[in-house]
Amino acid sequence: MSNSLHKPGEIAVSVQHLGLTYTTTIDKRPTLKARLKTMGRGTKQTRVVRALDDVMLDVAYGSVLGVVGANGAGKSTLMRVISGILPPSQGRVEVYGKVSTLLALGVGFSPSLSGRANVYLGGLAAGMSSQEIENHFEEIADFAELGDAIDAPMRTYSSGMYARLAFSVAVTVRPDILIVDEALSTGDARFKEKSLEKIKELRSDARALILVSHALGTVRDICNEVAWLHKGKLIQRGKPDEVVDAYASFLQVGKSAAINEDV
Amino acid sequence: MGTATPVEVFVPFRKGLPPLRKYWSTLWKRRSFIAEYSRTQLHEQHFDSVFGQIWLILNPLLLSGVYFVLIVIIGGHSDKMRYGHLTACLFLFYLMANTLSGGVKSVTSGQRLILNTAFPRLMLPISASVVAFFRFLPTIFIFLILRTILGLPIGWNMLWSIPIVLIAILFSSGVAILISCINVYFRDIANFLPYFTRMLLYLSPILWETSAIKPQLRKVELVNPLFPLLDSWSRAVVHAQAPHLTSMLISLAWAVLVFTFGTYFFLVREREFAVRV
Repeated sequence: MSNSLHKPGEIAVSVQHLGLTYTTTIDKRPTLKARLKTMGRGTKQTRVVRALDDVMLDVAYGSVLGVVGANGAGKSTLMRVISGILPPSQGRVEVYGKVSTLLALGVGFSPSLSGRANVYLGGLAAGMSSQEIENHFEEIADFAELGDAIDAPMRTYSSGMYARLAFSVAVTVRPDILIVDEALSTGDARFKEKSLEKIKELRSDARALILVSHALGTVRDICNEVAWLHKGKLIQRGKPDEVVDAYASFLQVGKSAAINEDV
Repeated sequence: MGTATPVEVFVPFRKGLPPLRKYWSTLWKRRSFIAEYSRTQLHEQHFDSVFGQIWLILNPLLLSGVYFVLIVIIGGHSDKMRYGHLTACLFLFYLMANTLSGGVKSVTSGQRLILNTAFPRLMLPISASVVAFFRFLPTIFIFLILRTILGLPIGWNMLWSIPIVLIAILFSSGVAILISCINVYFRDIANFLPYFTRMLLYLSPILWETSAIKPQLRKVELVNPLFPLLDSWSRAVVHAQAPHLTSMLISLAWAVLVFTFGTYFFLVREREFAVRV
C-alpha cells in the first residue's frame, strides 16, 4: 500500500530559528533526600542546557538529509523536536506529513513483555489503530527476522535484535517522513545492507528521510544533503562531500576506515 | 512548497501548557493504548489465570480477617455490621491505594516510550487507575456474597455506591497523576508512598466507625478527603441507607479539586519529562 501523496521536491519538514533550552538534574537519580542535602549546603542541583540554538533546516520529499556531529551536538534532541516529543523553546517547526515517531528505541519500553506486545503498545502510543498494526505485523516480524523470538520477553533480546525490531517498525509503517537515529549501528553486516536497501527504496518512493549517523561513508553514499551540528548550532549545511569533508577534518580523523563502516 | 499546509506545527507552549483541546482529543484517540496497556499489565500480574484471580480475592479477604482480629483484641465491639463495614471500606480503600501505588512509577517506568514517542503522557497514570479498577471488580462480588451471608440490610439506597465509586476513582486518579509527576523530580516519593497510604488507612473510618470516634478527633474529618467518602460508602453498602448529601458534595469537591490540580500540575511539567526521566 504505497501512499506517496507527495511530489519529490515538495517541502516535508521546515525548521525555523529553532532553539531549545532545558533544565536537567546533575544527579543521575534525583531524590528528595539529595535535594534536602544540597539545599543545606546551598549548592545547585540543576543546570541549564542549551541543546539547540537558532537552527534552520528544511527537508524535501524524495531526499535524504544526513545529520552529523560529535556526541552531544544536539542531533537526537533535534529529532525529538521534529517528531513532537520535545516542544521547542524558541522558533518553529512545521511538519508536512506523518512522521515515524518511533525513533531508535521506541519499541521495547517494557522489557518484561514480548516483542509482539511491545510493537503493539508502541504503535498504539504513537497513534496507530490496532487494525493498522495488525496489517503490518507480519511484515514487521519478517523484516526483523526474529523468528520465534518475537514472542519472547524483550529483556532476553540482544542489542542487535532490539535494533532490528525497532528499525522494522519504523520503516514498515510507511511514514511520510522517516527519522533514523543511529538505529543500525548494532545490527550485523547483512542486516545493515538490507536496511540500506530499504532506505534507498523509501527515498525513491518520494518519502523524506532524516538520517542521523556517525558512519560518514553511508552519509556520503545515500544523503542528498548533510547538516553538521556542533554544540546545538548548525555549523554547515550543503552537499554531502563538502560537509562531510569539513566535519571529518574538524574531527581530525581524516578518511580513516573507522568512520566509514557503520550506518 | 508554498501551497501545502503543515500537518503539524510545533511552537513554544504558551503559559507552559500544551494546546488543551488538541491534547484531550489526542488522549481520547489513544484510548486503545490505555486499554491494551492495562490489559498487558493485568496479564503480567496473572490476572487472567485462575490462581491470579483467586489471589486477588484472597488478599483483601485475608486482610479484612486480620484487621477484624485486631479490632477484637484491642477491645472494640464486634458484630456482623462491624465486619461488613470493615470489609467494604477496605475494598474501596484498596481501589484507591492500588491506583496510587500503580500510578506513582507510571511515568518513570515509561521512560523509553517517553523518550521516543510523542503521545499525551497523561495516558500512563490513567492506565494505572484502569488497572486498579479491574482489580477492584472481583472484590465487589466477594462483598455481595459476604453481605448476604452476614444478612445485612438490602435496599435501593445501595445504588449510591455507584457515584461513590466514581468519585473515588476521580479522586485517586487525581492523586496518582500528581504523584507520578512528582516522582519524576523526586524518585524517593515511591518509597514514602506505603507509609502515606498506611497513615491514610488509620486516619479514615475503616477500622473504626464514624459514630465511634471521640469528638476531639472529629477534626480529622476536615483534612482527610476520604472521611466523607468512606462514611457515605459504609452507609450505602453496609447499612443500605442514603448517605448525607453534604458528605457526598464534600467528597465530590475534593475529587474535582485534586483531579484538576493534579492534571494542571502534570500538564505544565509534562514537556520536561523527556529530559528528566
